Amino acid sequence: MESKIHELEATAVKIKKNLLNLCSKQVIHIGGDLSVADMMTVLWTYKMHYNTQDVHDENRDRFVLSKGHASAVMSFCQAEIGCFSAEEIIDEYATDQGRFSMHSCNLVNPYVEVSTGSLGHGFPIACGMAMGLRLKSNTHSRVYVVMGDGEQAEGSIWEAAMNAVKYKLGNLIAIVDNNGFSADGALDELTSLGDISAKYQAFGWNVLNIDGHSISEIKSALDNLPSPESDIPTVIVCHTTKGKGVRFMENQARWHAGKISHEELQECVSNL
Amino acid sequence: MKQYNFYEKIFLRDIMGNYMSELGKKHSDIVVVNADLMGTSRNRGFVEMFPERSFNVGIAEQNMVSFAAGLAKEGFQPFAFSMAPFLSMRACEQCRSDVAYGNLNVRLMATYAGLSGGISGATHWSIEDCGIMTSIPNMVVLEPCDSVQACSMLDYVVSHRGPVYMRISCEPTISIYDEGYSYKFGCAHEVTEGDDGAFICCGITVKYALKAAKSLYEAKNLKIRVVDTCGVKPLDSEKIISAARTGNVVVAHDHNVIGGLGQNVAEIILENGIRTNFVNIGIPDEFAAMAHAPFLYNKYGYDDLGLEKAMLSIIG
Repeated sequence: MESKIHELEATAVKIKKNLLNLCSKQVIHIGGDLSVADMMTVLWTYKMHYNTQDVHDENRDRFVLSKGHASAVMSFCQAEIGCFSAEEIIDEYATDQGRFSMHSCNLVNPYVEVSTGSLGHGFPIACGMAMGLRLKSNTHSRVYVVMGDGEQAEGSIWEAAMNAVKYKLGNLIAIVDNNGFSADGALDELTSLGDISAKYQAFGWNVLNIDGHSISEIKSALDNLPSPESDIPTVIVCHTTKGKGVRFMENQARWHAGKISHEELQECVSNL
Repeated sequence: MKQYNFYEKIFLRDIMGNYMSELGKKHSDIVVVNADLMGTSRNRGFVEMFPERSFNVGIAEQNMVSFAAGLAKEGFQPFAFSMAPFLSMRACEQCRSDVAYGNLNVRLMATYAGLSGGISGATHWSIEDCGIMTSIPNMVVLEPCDSVQACSMLDYVVSHRGPVYMRISCEPTISIYDEGYSYKFGCAHEVTEGDDGAFICCGITVKYALKAAKSLYEAKNLKIRVVDTCGVKPLDSEKIISAARTGNVVVAHDHNVIGGLGQNVAEIILENGIRTNFVNIGIPDEFAAMAHAPFLYNKYGYDDLGLEKAMLSIIG
């Protein structure tokens, strides 16, 4: 158990190093990549059932990146399980014929389940997929959807939140990266979103609150999910820090997206 | 000349909503998604026959379209019903980014086409939807003009790979096609023959064009062709070019003249270097107060009287 956690922690550090390395070459959404990296690491390299040899495998778990700007961290997680190499991501990212960019696109990258980028879309699509699994009597696959907390300001999120409860989508796992910031600043200043958990609870969701940077808490939450055959959808609110692990980026809205110098890269990597 | 019963009143919304049950029996992958407009979309029959394949998400069109996209991702064929303005505008980005970008088999069933929402007023009209939908890659925009065509079109749509936007008028139409008619994707139909001029239209305006053509024949012995384009995308260039060779073209569409059938037809005529008189009739880029649709069609000159007048103005 302990060793699995250490192994996942090491993988998370490796993925963050890859992110920073890429960030020294290209502008990426580094702040929100780093805040969700620990959760994404455990989800992709430990929890999800995914067949890298067959992206249409009926028995796979589905993954929708509703916060589509975290495309880089998804790609590096997929590299960890063998979809492609980290070097390919770094070489191709934001190039004219590459498979990887600021948002993910399944026209060029088959490992992208749903092309995303515009916020408030992935979550209701994931609800439709979860319903589709139900109609096909697929009782073991889950649909995981990762959202931002800034994204919760989109009205379509709450349309979907109601819908998932109505259709009893216990096979849907929503994850909110609650880093407290969106592109223009602190969420507290931009919206009166308040307590995200209370809102999902009020709509009838099973709500978990965890430290989104604690690999053991993440692993424990994912290990103890209700059965996909259950009737109540689950949301995991991950309390995180935007730009986590890099001192000058933490809680700085200006690091929503950006590029670092080669010198900064050395400093960042030693911080991790 | 074939005789039409211009007093007939056939409501495509009823025909198409009811036909969903027939489609549902034949195709187990079809599901219906509503956003609180099941009644007005007339698909209650399907919902009662196939409750497990029916969803109603409440008054949430964006969610309806994204939810339908998710169902299509899992191999189902969702028919999402709403009024055209709410599908094409409230859920515009969902139609574009969730459905069309992924080239998913979602069928967007849009009632209240054009001004057919009449006394409900401009919030319930869709005079922009073809402009919006035709400019979305992968999206097909169909608009039936009678019940035989509507059902034949639906039979085709079930086999179509990728998204379809179906524009359905609430105004009554008449029987135009015989029972043996079969809709062919990408093909326009010459409903009546004639070389003195051509009405090019789709949806509710086909009925008015037929009446205008009859009147022009009886009063002036003019033989006017009526071309039914079956929608706005794709268009049948060959039939449009042939119609343009008559030298007198009147396009009529229950839509803003901007972004509607007329501009798309004009592009084909221009690109093929055909010289012809040309009139594009529709809503002249303005909002109007609520009124019954026939009053508005008359006001904007695309009922039978308006079309007759427009044709005479270019034939001289």
